[in-house]
Amino acid sequence: MDRHTEEKLFRVLMIASLLIVVGSLFAVIAVVVMNGVSALSISMITQTPKGGYYLGKEGGILNAIVGSLYLAAGSMLLALLVSLPAALALQREYIGKSKAAYYVRLSLDVLWGTPSIVYGAFGFTVMLYLGMRASLLGGIIVLALLQMPIMIRTMDEVIKLVSVELKEASYTLGATRLETTAGVVVRQALPGIVTAALLAFGRGIGDAASILLTTGYTDRIPSSLFDPAASLPLAVFFQLGTPFPEVQQRAYASALILLVIVLALSMLSRAMSKKFMRNIIR
Amino acid sequence: MKTHINVQNLNAFYGEHQALRNISVEIPEKQITAIIGPSGCGKSTFLKCLNRLIDLTEGVRVSGKILVDGTDVLDRGIEITEVRRKMGLLPQRPNPLPMSIYDNVAYGLRIHGTRDRKALNEKVEHYLKIAGLWDEVKDRLRSPAAKLSIGQQQRLCLARGLAVEPEIILCDEPTSALDPLSSQHIEQQLLKLSERYTIVIVTHNIHQAMRLADYVVHFYLGEVVEHGEASEVLENPKDERTRAYINGTFLTQIKIDTEVNLKGNKCPFNFVYAKQALHNLEPGKVMRVIVDDPMAVTEVPRGMEADGHKVLNVKQINSTDWAIVIQK
Ligand SMILES: Nc1ncnc2c1ncn2[C@@H]1O[C@H](COP(=O)(O)OP(=O)(O)OP(=O)(O)O)[C@@H](O)[C@H]1O
Ligand SMILES: [Mg+2]
Repeated sequence: MDRHTEEKLFRVLMIASLLIVVGSLFAVIAVVVMNGVSALSISMITQTPKGGYYLGKEGGILNAIVGSLYLAAGSMLLALLVSLPAALALQREYIGKSKAAYYVRLSLDVLWGTPSIVYGAFGFTVMLYLGMRASLLGGIIVLALLQMPIMIRTMDEVIKLVSVELKEASYTLGATRLETTAGVVVRQALPGIVTAALLAFGRGIGDAASILLTTGYTDRIPSSLFDPAASLPLAVFFQLGTPFPEVQQRAYASALILLVIVLALSMLSRAMSKKFMRNIIR
Repeated sequence: MKTHINVQNLNAFYGEHQALRNISVEIPEKQITAIIGPSGCGKSTFLKCLNRLIDLTEGVRVSGKILVDGTDVLDRGIEITEVRRKMGLLPQRPNPLPMSIYDNVAYGLRIHGTRDRKALNEKVEHYLKIAGLWDEVKDRLRSPAAKLSIGQQQRLCLARGLAVEPEIILCDEPTSALDPLSSQHIEQQLLKLSERYTIVIVTHNIHQAMRLADYVVHFYLGEVVEHGEASEVLENPKDERTRAYINGTFLTQIKIDTEVNLKGNKCPFNFVYAKQALHNLEPGKVMRVIVDDPMAVTEVPRGMEADGHKVLNVKQINSTDWAIVIQK
């Protein structure tokens, strides 16, 4: 085979792979839209389920939308609170090059790959032991645990890339380790840190298995952290499981809402990253 | 001459490799000390020991004493942040912080306790002026420092370092990444600053050492082989190795055959007149040209070299004038 044929063949291969990726994304969106758009209505996003909603009567899934936003935002904030310091602790200035850091990274990588149902089962066991009911708080904690490995490892990698020269600049001005880390390293790594947080948010809002047992499901909007809460992934799951076609359509409409939230968020992050990139030193 | 930094028996090891061997030198106060020497001889390592930036490198061992105002910098018990504040460092490549121009200068002020907005504004302006950058950036203080040119960034780093009110300025080849005009800018600032600060500058450029230094230290393979007054060391080195190093780049004894004063002439006229004057000389003869146009400092030597003449030296002789020595 001559080199030009090779070149052509490889090009075809590359284009085909790209088409498969983009194509399946569009296929997912198309299926969801085609099945769900007819069931989509204002009441769907402004009302909670009324009696008989799951038989095809009145109501909406406001409970699940609010529940999912609470869960995802709450868990992201909680995870961020732990992950940023943890990721910084993994740097050279702190435990960086030690054996301990190596093992911490290894366990985080294992945790990243752990299926979310395992987190759910773990959370459920602990909650049973403590005598806690399924609640928003339980779900937030379990989701945060699920997000932490993603956040810490992603942040760890971007913070590692901050150059020594930049840190030296801060140290020579008489800054302490903390001032350098908080004032310079975090700023330089900010776009990466934001990406890590949003990656984790996406995982949090889309996960069903970990909150199935820990948060439960309810038709009411939770009024405290100790109430159970509904969520979009579970709303999709339950509605799809009914034998009524009109309720199944609503499942697709719920999935569409979930998709829109995730899409809006990633657009927002794209727009914001420009602002965060402004001061970065390349 | 008062000693500001007294280095005694300084040794530094990177793992097994000894980068500095028994260094003992005294660095004079409020003068410019140039550290010269071939690549890899430990100049940067020496500077990094002075403000203990070397602590950031792994596997380094340092022994000896570095006395600054009576305190030993290498003493583990001292407040190292205070020592570092006292010694500004101008790096080889400018390293602005990931923030606005204003915040770059204010950063050090803030960590050392200046919070008042008005005081910050005043100081930022003051130090940007000292570094000769104010006029260029006063309308865009809030824009990112990364957007500045390399030469401007280096002056920003100078302003940032000066803002924390150091007593000593360490420079590691501060002009090696800059174009001739920006280099000249930095050199002029350093000459001005030497009235109030002790300056230590690492340089590969003998001409630069001649232009700037009052005192010269020659490093060779991790050792100090010669140190003393700049005129002594550069023009009449005692050590064989120093002589070899300096002669490699520069002729120490030059007989000037004729001198041409071109003050008041702008480019390209000063170049044309210099060429005419050179025309009347025999090959091999040496001419000294005095100019006061900053453009000429880079353009005349460049033009002369392009014409096949040899430029032996370019030296600032006072605040406005430069001497260029050319051999036909
Ligand atoms: N981080 C390091 N680890 C190991 N060896 C190092 C390290 N930094 C420098 N060295 C070695 O120490 C010696 C002195 O290095 P240094 O950077 O101080 O030289 P220098 O005089 O500044 O050279 P140059 O003029 O090229 O900048 C060199 O042999 C170098 O290889
Ligand atoms: Mg060096």
